[in-house]
Amino acid sequence: MALPPSLRTSVTPPELELVASEQLVEIIPLVSMERTAFISGAYGPLRPPTKCKMPLWMASNLKLKKKCHIVPPTWLNVDFLQDRLTQETTLPSFSEMPFRFAEIAKILLDVAPDDLQNPEKLRTLLKDIREARQAKSREGLSKLDPNELILQNLCAMEINEIRPFFVRGMAVLTQLTREPPPVEPMDET
Amino acid sequence: MSFDWDDDFNAPIAGPSFVDRARNAPEDDDFPIADEFGGGRAGILAQDVAEDTPFQQLIRHWLNERHAPDILPGQELLLGRLLDHIRKQSNDVELLRADPDSSEEEHFRIMLVQTEIERVKFVIRSYIRTRLHKIEKYARHIATTPEIHERLSKAELDHAKRYAKTVEYHFTQSVLQSLPPEQRKLDEDVAFMPPMIPAPDKLRPVFAHALVDCPPMRLPDGSATEMQKGQISLTPYHVVEHLLLRGEVALV
Repeated sequence: MALPPSLRTSVTPPELELVASEQLVEIIPLVSMERTAFISGAYGPLRPPTKCKMPLWMASNLKLKKKCHIVPPTWLNVDFLQDRLTQETTLPSFSEMPFRFAEIAKILLDVAPDDLQNPEKLRTLLKDIREARQAKSREGLSKLDPNELILQNLCAMEINEIRPFFVRGMAVLTQLTREPPPVEPMDET
Repeated sequence: MSFDWDDDFNAPIAGPSFVDRARNAPEDDDFPIADEFGGGRAGILAQDVAEDTPFQQLIRHWLNERHAPDILPGQELLLGRLLDHIRKQSNDVELLRADPDSSEEEHFRIMLVQTEIERVKFVIRSYIRTRLHKIEKYARHIATTPEIHERLSKAELDHAKRYAKTVEYHFTQSVLQSLPPEQRKLDEDVAFMPPMIPAPDKLRPVFAHALVDCPPMRLPDGSATEMQKGQISLTPYHVVEHLLLRGEVALV
């Protein structure tokens, strides 16, 4: 069929990464380049060592060819993530994280660990934050009702993870509440 | 950054304040329709703000189309613009590659432009495939419901009709003509069974992300609720359908 079954119900993580890679990051170029017109806009000129903003996919491309250094976004450092982790473990609601933090963090940790301070600690912090939020999502499943479920501060990758369960669960709940339960307790069908 | 949104949410929803909020709801013409949804959207955290380039808009439509159970209006203008852009870029790349004086710097510029062309082509292809899948799935429903026709392009509509006819012909030839005449129909409505022509399931829950403060909407149990900007909620598709078509909500 036109769309393979694996793609019919949700978006795959690589596709989420594609969407997240459109976001702008700052880089410190190591080579110079003229201002070039791309489909999503014109970027450059690159004049080392002045910083420049460009989409993440471009930055990671250049980084892999060792032509730039990436400046990590303001939220990707140990203090910020540590603070968020304490918020996650102490408060029952989700703390505010950048919407696509999982994808962006993954790309940056894979491509540019040398541009980040303490990548190992960042990895453990991100893992802990992820586990804390997953635990909260699991509790959120009990709050499912056929009308509406508000999820404050949930991020793209997490929504994608919980999507199959929550969508099916809510669909079944909608069915159950739409059709009033049968009155006879004797008929077992 | 306080977490007392709980209190706001538990405030009484129905009553005279509903009328006030409906009166103060944003005017439709603040948000131009067509394929520009204005500069009004902002991210959840400040870093998520991106300019609303045509490619960003296409990505939004692509994700909406992937998550929605129904076919959404096709974005021919947007696709046409992007395809033209791709063609121009490919031509420029060809010229640069043919030029023997290109330096080292040119090489990786060409490589970046080619990478971007591939990215845009991927999104376009996925968007068209998703629509095609839905069209083929609901081909008979589309052929019998004229309101959907304006959401499809001419080529898509032709394909839907031809596909429906081909499938019907196939069923008739292989099975139906050997059945007694009363059982040969493909569109009967039998009580307690799902209809023979599958229609899109508008009750399926979707994750909706509000791009602006939304006017109140009606939930299945009759109560009204509204979404603040940046809020994400899981709700049946029909509740947010009109907001989605107006561009105030995106499926995430």
